[in-house]
Formats: sequence, structure tokens, C-alpha cells
Amino acid sequence: MNKKRELELIFGPQHLGMVGNFSIKLNVEGDKILKAESVPGYLHRGFEKLMEYRSWIQNFPMVCRINVIEPDSMEMVYAMAVEKLAGIEVPQKANYIRMIVLELARLSSHLFGCWAYANMLGFDTVAQWAMYHRDLILDLFEELTGARVYHIYILPGGVRRDFPKGFKNKILNTLHSIGGHIPDYDATFFNNKLFYKRAKGIGKISLEDAKKMGATGQILRALGMKYDIRKIEPYAFYNKIDFEVPTRTDGDAYSRVWVIRDEMIQSVHIIMQCLEMMQEKGEVWNRLPNPFKWRIPAGETYVRVESSRGELGLYLVSNGKDKPYRVHFRTPSYPHGLVILEKLLKNANIADVGNIMISLYVVAPEIDR
Amino acid sequence: MKIKEITKIFNDVSVKIESNNRIILKAPKDQILNILSFFKNKGFEHLSLISCVDWIKEKEFEIVYILTTYTEENTHIILKTRISRKKAQIISITNLFENAEPYEREIHELFGITFEGNKRLTPLFLEREYKIPPFRKDFDTRKYVKEFFGSIPPVPPVKEKKK
Repeated sequence: MNKKRELELIFGPQHLGMVGNFSIKLNVEGDKILKAESVPGYLHRGFEKLMEYRSWIQNFPMVCRINVIEPDSMEMVYAMAVEKLAGIEVPQKANYIRMIVLELARLSSHLFGCWAYANMLGFDTVAQWAMYHRDLILDLFEELTGARVYHIYILPGGVRRDFPKGFKNKILNTLHSIGGHIPDYDATFFNNKLFYKRAKGIGKISLEDAKKMGATGQILRALGMKYDIRKIEPYAFYNKIDFEVPTRTDGDAYSRVWVIRDEMIQSVHIIMQCLEMMQEKGEVWNRLPNPFKWRIPAGETYVRVESSRGELGLYLVSNGKDKPYRVHFRTPSYPHGLVILEKLLKNANIADVGNIMISLYVVAPEIDR
Repeated sequence: MKIKEITKIFNDVSVKIESNNRIILKAPKDQILNILSFFKNKGFEHLSLISCVDWIKEKEFEIVYILTTYTEENTHIILKTRISRKKAQIISITNLFENAEPYEREIHELFGITFEGNKRLTPLFLEREYKIPPFRKDFDTRKYVKEFFGSIPPVPPVKEKKK
């Protein structure tokens, strides 16, 4: 049989190896992928258009729904853009609280990522641990903000409310209980030979290609570049904090997952330092007049933060009215899922599709918006 | 980089430098490729975003390119160009930046702007076709929803069986 048999295979969204509402159209021959095409759009809700119909403060419940897994960085980038346009200042204590919330969100997001990756490889035990530990962080969020997933906590000019009594200790207890399990995670998952064999050399990308295709976040850090917006363009008080940007050099799935693991440890260090530096008393919200009547001065701005997946930016245009004129989010998954994924899947095996996609850390609602 | 340097090389370009490391350029649409490749060679090799703003009162679209670096330097370059709403056409920059392709696809779909040279202007997000591209300012989302989904009759209430 010399005849070539090319098949079209739709991978996802109802597929066990797929995380999120996203699908990939594959052209396969045998086990080999000849061509891959990302098909987003299952979650397109047109948030950016809907936001043009609502006042500045009413947009917060929508902003956080753009990234389901880590909503806080979305709120942060939107609040930062409004602050920049209107010239609102943030009290010191609020900045520390924001950093703690952002790092907790990063931790919960990375744990979710560990769940997805471990689950896909068949490490069910580790996956359940990660989910359990993420839940502990969600408990903290519930006490602080009243909500588990969508917090709507960071507002222009500060945060919505102060830490409740004894909350610092609760954070420390949770972090200790998660940190105590790091050796277990390492022994069962990160140092496991099976993980090494499944992930080493999979989804390898060169630094040149990554730069050409607009990669940020773990993909660059797994290639040895210390590219982190928290260091390059510090927001809140990240310039006062001592932390490292973990890197690896191979640029494959194995390195990317290890970078995620090391980042979690750095996040814990940041939270510890913030808790130490944060003063007990002080305002957490710059008292602003009625938020429903805000009119933001005309102008445009581009702000960016380091979300758990890479560079998250927001291009915001105001024309001096009570509603935004144009909102456009630059989400890290956008180039990762639509450009890099297509490139990496070429000539890969069908069995590695989930592996490559989850190691790129693509989250579908961020692409569709 | 100084304003004079840039204005010397390119004609018709207005440059504004903001205090927070931000260079804002306004240029005519036929100069874009030159300017972007100039800055790419200067080290601004990361295309963060291509965005589009519909200025309906001026009857123009504004295409916005945001460039940053992959180094420690935190300067942003925001390049803006305006095209008329009637003849919404602009040159594609996919040859310079590979990740420009999905952004251009998105703007083509949501604003109806054609990018000459982009071979893959296929639909990205939307399910059905619209008379006016939905992100334009003259497209009224609320009216569309009322007309499109309002015509579907509501589910009749379940009648209770008589005993």
C-alpha cells in the first residue's frame, strides 16, 4: 500500500485531552499531523463591544470573566488603565493587598495548570492534590471578597475592602500547608521518570521563532530569557520586592512545566514579603465620589501586567464620557493559541496534541473574549 | 531616541514622547511598513497588539500598532494611522511579524477592514454573517439582539393535567 491517506480530524471541544472550549482542526496521515488549524470562537461573547455600553464601574463584572482561571490580573489591568487616564492614586496599603491577591491568584492558576497537565498525563493523584490546594486558596478569596472565582475586588483607587481580622494568619497557614506538600509533588510528579519521558523534547521551540511569534510568559522563560513585566515595568510595589524570575533553557514542555513550578515558589516568597511590609492601619480605597457618575478624561493608554500566562495588556480609549469608547485586551493566550500552537503541532503525533496544548498554557476564554 | 531623529527619516510623521517611556507616532497609511521595519531593526521586535478604533464622527478608522522590546527597556511605541471608513483598506504586516495574522483576521471580521497581503482573512470568532461588521459604532448590539432573538417565540408554559 503506497497510497497516502489524509484524514481531517476535529480535535475538541468535546475531547478528553482538551481543556476549555477550543478546538483544533488537524490534517493527519496515520499518526502524524500534517497541518493544524486553531478554531476559536466557542466562547466569543463580544465583551469588548458590550463594555462600550456600560459605565466604567459596571464593566468590572465583565472584565473578570475574560479569564476564568485567573480573573484578578484582568481586574488589575483594567483598574490600572482607568487610574492612568483619570490620574487616580492608590493608597500604600491597597497596593500591598493587590499584590497579595494577584500572587494568590497566580498560585491558584498555576495549581489549576498543574491539575490540567497532571490529569492529561494520567497522574491522577497529583491532579487531585493540586485541585485540593487550589480550593484552599479559593477559601481565602471567599473570606476576603465574598466570591470564590470572580472576585470583583480590585477597583480604581484601591481595593473593595480591608483584610478581615486574623486574615494574615490564615494566609500564612494556607501557604504553609501547601508548601509542606512540595516534596510530595516533586517526588510523585516533577521528578518522576514518567513525566520526564512524556514531556522531554515535546513541543520544542527555538528562541528566534518564539520571539517572531510574539511569545511571552513561560514560553520565553523556558528558553532562558528573564522576561517578566513585573521586573521590566514594575506596577504596584513589585520594585520593592526581592524575587527571582525562574528560567530553564530547553524550551520544551518539560521546561515550561518546571518554570510553572518554580514560579509558584517565588509567588509564595512575594506574598510573605508583602505580609511583612504591609502596615496594619491605613486606607485601602482612595475615597472617590460616586462611581456611577465617573467621567474619565479623554485620552488613550496601553498598560500591561504579568498575568500567570504572560504579558496581559489593555488598550483603552476614552472620549471623556461616562463609558469607555474602545477596549481591547492583549491576552497572552492569543498568540500562543493561534500562532505558536499551529506551528508546534505540525509534524507532531496525535498523542501529543493535549501535551503540547496544555504545556503552552492556553486558556480559551482569553482568546475569544 | 529623539524626536528629531525620527522626523528626519520619515516625512509626515508626528511624534509625541510621553513622560512614562511612551512614543506616540501618527503616520499616513502608506508609511506603516517602513516605520515598523525601522523600529524592528532598532530592537522593538515584539508586536504586542494591533487594535482598531472606529471614529465614526470623523468617518475614519484608526489602526493602532503597539511595539515593545524583548529587553530590559520598557519603552512602548504606539503607531497610529487613519483610514477612511468608505475605503477600509490597509497593507498587511504579516511579513514583518508572524503574530500579526490573527489580529488582522480579527479586525477584518469585526470591523470589516481588508488587509492587503494577508492570505488568511477567514472568519475567526463569529458564527453568522452580519450586514454591518459588529464592532463598528453604527452597529447597535441591543437593537440587533431584540430583532434577531426577539422573533423567537417564548416557550409556552406547561399546562397542568386535570385530575
